[in-house]
Amino acid sequence: MTATPSWLYHLFALLMLAVAAYCLTLLIVSVKERRMSGWDVDIAHVCMGVAMAGMFITAWAFGPAWVWELLFFVLMIWFIARSIQSVQEFGMHLPHYAIHALMSFAMLMMYVFPGATRGGASPSMGMSAVSGSRLDPGLALLLAFCFFASAIFTLASPCKGTVHHGSHVPEWALVGAVDGDGDDGSSLATLTTVGTFDRIVARPWLEDASHVVMCIGMGLMLILMI
Amino acid sequence: MTATQVGVAPPPAVKEQTSGPRHGPRDRPRDLQRTFQLVLATVWLLDAVLQLQPFMFTRGTNGFSGMLNGMASGNPGWIAHTIRWNGTIVYHEPIVTDSLFAGVQFLIAFGIAWKRTLKPALALSIVWSLGVWWFGEGLGGLFSGAATPFGGGPGGVLFYGLLAVLLWPSEGSDRPFVAARTVGARAAKAIWAVTWGVLTILCLVGSGRQPQALHDLVAGMNSGQPGWLAHLDRSTEAFFLHHGTSAAIGLAVVCAITALGVYLPPRVTQVTLVLAMVVFAAIWVAVQNFGGVLAGGATDPNGGLLVVILALVYWPLTGPPSATSGAAPDSVVPIEEVPAR
Repeated sequence: MTATPSWLYHLFALLMLAVAAYCLTLLIVSVKERRMSGWDVDIAHVCMGVAMAGMFITAWAFGPAWVWELLFFVLMIWFIARSIQSVQEFGMHLPHYAIHALMSFAMLMMYVFPGATRGGASPSMGMSAVSGSRLDPGLALLLAFCFFASAIFTLASPCKGTVHHGSHVPEWALVGAVDGDGDDGSSLATLTTVGTFDRIVARPWLEDASHVVMCIGMGLMLILMI
Repeated sequence: MTATQVGVAPPPAVKEQTSGPRHGPRDRPRDLQRTFQLVLATVWLLDAVLQLQPFMFTRGTNGFSGMLNGMASGNPGWIAHTIRWNGTIVYHEPIVTDSLFAGVQFLIAFGIAWKRTLKPALALSIVWSLGVWWFGEGLGGLFSGAATPFGGGPGGVLFYGLLAVLLWPSEGSDRPFVAARTVGARAAKAIWAVTWGVLTILCLVGSGRQPQALHDLVAGMNSGQPGWLAHLDRSTEAFFLHHGTSAAIGLAVVCAITALGVYLPPRVTQVTLVLAMVVFAAIWVAVQNFGGVLAGGATDPNGGLLVVILALVYWPLTGPPSATSGAAPDSVVPIEEVPAR
């Protein structure tokens, strides 16, 4: 009996890559349409997806750890700055950028305190069947719980796609989505203005799903590092 | 990419939207019952992920089946037999059964999060928690005399079921407290009193009042804990060894006061709830060690966390009542404070 369910790690690695690919698509669409809302979150998710896949499957990891550490440090600072900016603009509240700052922090911690690897060490970050990390288990559990909470509250949010990724759908087209019912007619009308590709790729629930998958994958990795 | 323009004027800027009166869901007071349902779902999601730890998929005494079989000891023969029967199934098919168990918990968590499946998910959580209480927790040690609340007795998973009942969705106000919304204030208070009454009794019976047993309870959790928690454990062990009986009596008094607290004026109730939350949070950390999660060998965070959530569900809401369903004016989030991004 193998102690490590490799199929499970492959499954999560594939899910992480799927999220990365999806966010990369959104990013390309944004650049193509010169619509820059949410690009920072997409970049973060692309990086996190690729890095997480390499953590679940050692063979898929690449690049020196210090590059990833630098990358996630920069992302963390960026999202902290955006959170502060949001608080200054809208008053005291818990800005959604905070969860992305926390996710970047978690990624940074996972690289700074990597777990022991099985099946061959890699110069890059590889943590398949990870265990024995020097990351404090209490911090890992706290971070994991925050990510699970974010996943659940995102799933339950009536504001699909509007608060999580800096949606790619034009802001005014999301009025119907935010209100939930869209029974006033105007919401329906505004929604029809969204492009065909947007309606397929930038569906709010897809954006939410990518965030949920990323949160659960990252939470699982943190639990595995305990 | 092309956008099909239908001649609809772009809406005003966000600032303009937020400056005037606007009647959307964001104006509505926060639905506290829904919030607590999602907190419960979060704990279920944590449990589901804990079920995916590598050792859960293994056989042997250190595996999941070994953990289950260990729960049989101390129980009456026929109950122990059912627990070992379940353990045997898990032993033979560890991957299938563990995947199934994790899948059910994912289902409950996601089901609660999605409003359309909320009721079936809560119903499933009640059934599942009872099943886990029987087969996974050996009835919380009730029959072996080891069901002390210090260790999570009478079974941390029972609180999942209890919360599912109290948070069953219903229309109405979150006042006087969230737990009363579905079952009514009188029934909710009775449930509270019975629950804390049971906890009071369990503090004083069986091994719950024996210093050596309490010491061993913590010592059994010590292995594999991070340094700071292991250090805290040693202090707790020493405390229990010298003052175990006093600690048990003290906890019983706290539980008894908490049981009666809901029948007192709201301000006094709040004080008793704070007392209960502080005490059980301390127990969760210093005695239950977060359910053993930090040692990498747990399937759930044990009862301390759930007791704190339960206490919050009974928190008296002060201030003028609201006409809105599920309203709690003091929890209203002004629209200006809800930035889109």
